[in-house]
Amino acid sequence: MSNLGAEMAAKALKLNIPISVQLDVTYRCNERCVHCYLDHDDHGEMTTAEIRSLLDQLADAGVFYLTISGGEILMRRDFFEILEHARARTFCIKLKTNGVLIREKEARRIRELGVETIQISIYSHRPEVHDAITKMPGSLRQSINAVRFLRGQGLHVTLANVLMLENAADYKGVRALAAELGVKCTLDPTVTPMMDGDRSILKLNVDQTALREVFRNQELVGNVEEFCAPPPGVDEDALDSLPCSAGHTACYVSPYGDVYPCVQFPLPTGNVRQTKFLDIWRYSPQLNEVRSITLRDMPSCSKCAHGATCTRCPGLAYLEGNMRGPSSQDCEKSYARKGIPSENYKARHVLPQSLNSVQLVQIQGLRPAMGNIPAEAAKADVVVGA
Amino acid sequence: MPVVTAAARSTGVVVEIGGLPIRLRCDDPNFLRQIEERYAGYISSANDARFEFEIELSPQSAGPRDEDVSVTWDSGHWLMTRGDFRAEWNPSTARGRVRQTVNPYSLDCVLRIVHTLLLAREGGFLLHASSAIRNGRAFLFSGVSGAGKTTIASLAPPDAALLTDEISYVIPSDGRFDAVGTPFYGELARPGLNLRAPIEALYLLAKGPENKIEEIGSADAVRGLLGNILFFARDPEFVNLVFNTAFDFVGRVPVRRLTFVPNASVWELIV
Amino acid sequence: MTSRRYVARSKAIAARKLGEEPMVMSATDSTLFTLDEVASVIWAAADGVTPLDEIVEKKICALYDVSPEVALKDAEALIENLAEHGLLLLSDEPLVEASVSQGETR
Repeated sequence: MSNLGAEMAAKALKLNIPISVQLDVTYRCNERCVHCYLDHDDHGEMTTAEIRSLLDQLADAGVFYLTISGGEILMRRDFFEILEHARARTFCIKLKTNGVLIREKEARRIRELGVETIQISIYSHRPEVHDAITKMPGSLRQSINAVRFLRGQGLHVTLANVLMLENAADYKGVRALAAELGVKCTLDPTVTPMMDGDRSILKLNVDQTALREVFRNQELVGNVEEFCAPPPGVDEDALDSLPCSAGHTACYVSPYGDVYPCVQFPLPTGNVRQTKFLDIWRYSPQLNEVRSITLRDMPSCSKCAHGATCTRCPGLAYLEGNMRGPSSQDCEKSYARKGIPSENYKARHVLPQSLNSVQLVQIQGLRPAMGNIPAEAAKADVVVGA
Repeated sequence: MPVVTAAARSTGVVVEIGGLPIRLRCDDPNFLRQIEERYAGYISSANDARFEFEIELSPQSAGPRDEDVSVTWDSGHWLMTRGDFRAEWNPSTARGRVRQTVNPYSLDCVLRIVHTLLLAREGGFLLHASSAIRNGRAFLFSGVSGAGKTTIASLAPPDAALLTDEISYVIPSDGRFDAVGTPFYGELARPGLNLRAPIEALYLLAKGPENKIEEIGSADAVRGLLGNILFFARDPEFVNLVFNTAFDFVGRVPVRRLTFVPNASVWELIV
Repeated sequence: MTSRRYVARSKAIAARKLGEEPMVMSATDSTLFTLDEVASVIWAAADGVTPLDEIVEKKICALYDVSPEVALKDAEALIENLAEHGLLLLSDEPLVEASVSQGETR
């Protein structure tokens, strides 16, 4: 982010303005990706009118960056109506889509409506691998076509990839594909739990060896030495630091109007069908509680060597049972990066150097209130987080 | 879903918590319906409600938000304000009014304050604690944000009836103290069951490597209790009442420290 | 004599006030700008039909103690910068209404 962008973010923080919101307009999808965290049934999505009213409220609340995602956004018949209204309210608009339903006509309309970036999910350069992940034959070809149509209109496109067992060997191929298409590329190294708390899809995550390789790839992480250097530990400033922008300058709204700090942090804080967005943002006790949490309030993490360099996602911590607790998936990543295990990591694994038993510790889910959380099999010890 | 009839519009909706019914009147039937939904389980059909509030809805406040609530005593009535509402409560007439925007948080806050004020006179209080009933007796788990109130509530076994994960309601009754369910919730995002039972013990929460219960001295017990009682006003008479109640409570109800590991095994100790 | 210049806000720009400060960004360029007081005035007045020198004279010089020549020079530098990043359209002729956006900065 440019300096000005960071400056604006700091100002938004001071003024308690949600400068950035992700709105999922549907959870329905034409694909069925194996790693997806969503329930794709329509339980009563917001109507066009409700979404337009919400967009007005978001604009009035000071939201500048609007990400429209889902599910598959083009599945909404009123998608372009929604986009038109977002344009009319002068948001900086980013779309996340698989692109399968984007052809020439749609690409042209998207360009006319001044969308800033379109993110297209691509999981492999090989159709047999990509299509097996999306469970939709022909989807890679159609997604790549979408990229071409959008680029043909001069739009900014990013390929978004997620690292998992199925495509672990192909992330370089996706990067090459991106270069060939003249677009940027991102790689998320983690498969995250389902929104309802079901952790079974975590078994798709790659192991430490694969993670270490990814984190030592200069094309992906930039300065490898810096990225993998021993962490500086925790000082006073670090203790006062905020985990991330969720609840501070950013939040999420579901297709059903539920407001969460982030799509990956599904703590119910209010619903826009019952309460005005700005009232939720300002006065929701749950949102205010999230805001009160600094590194100092995290019993385990405040004492950890990884301190403020850890990518700890509070949403993943919440899904593990405690939003002030560790995010084990980030402990995995910090270990892969820096070679130093956190206490939480040690508690969950017996390290190879151990002389005695090699029995791995079973990982128990901590939130029975959220439904069935199966104890993970001893093998799946490498659960990595976003 | 309850239907708000024309008659109801004039009589309002009665929200009864801890046996204290408060009639809420409002010209907007939609808002009354929202109140009924929000406080489901705590709506009373009682015709007599000792206490009454008139709710006046105002459009979105454009001014700077102020998250701190201020409660002051001013010539015969309590004045409660926050960025999203302004309320008055007259204890001698048992009448009050609230001016707020259409949101569920204002009324929630006003109710918590009013109940705190009403309870103070009766020798009861609201406490930052989760509570549950097991085997006909109530257990309270107290602590500040992050201490584990919601965690321990979420770990409760099926035979424990959850009263709240955030704000417990304590009433004196025949020389003992009872806990009652409340619609006030925290992270758990759902109201508690509207049940009542005598309090078996209050646990002050601590996290540690093993589950254990420790006896603590009465000075520590009072300190721990006072640290978690909901306190809004610096009025000397009010503070005095609360202090007396805290000492009374510690004299009658065991207060212990509960150190626990965040998994369901802690509930084996809560019997 | 130089021809008059006309300025119009581009269509499809992102704009929002952060506190009192408008932020703007063009979708094609993605460079974020904040507008100070003078820039905000020019931005708000960029309707495509009012010539720049008139905007400067009537709005800038009226508010600030600055000579029209200096103000115009600064304004031209500003509009060139914004135009370069896709936020403004510049023309020697008045710009057709249809291409001008509302440019909300409220």
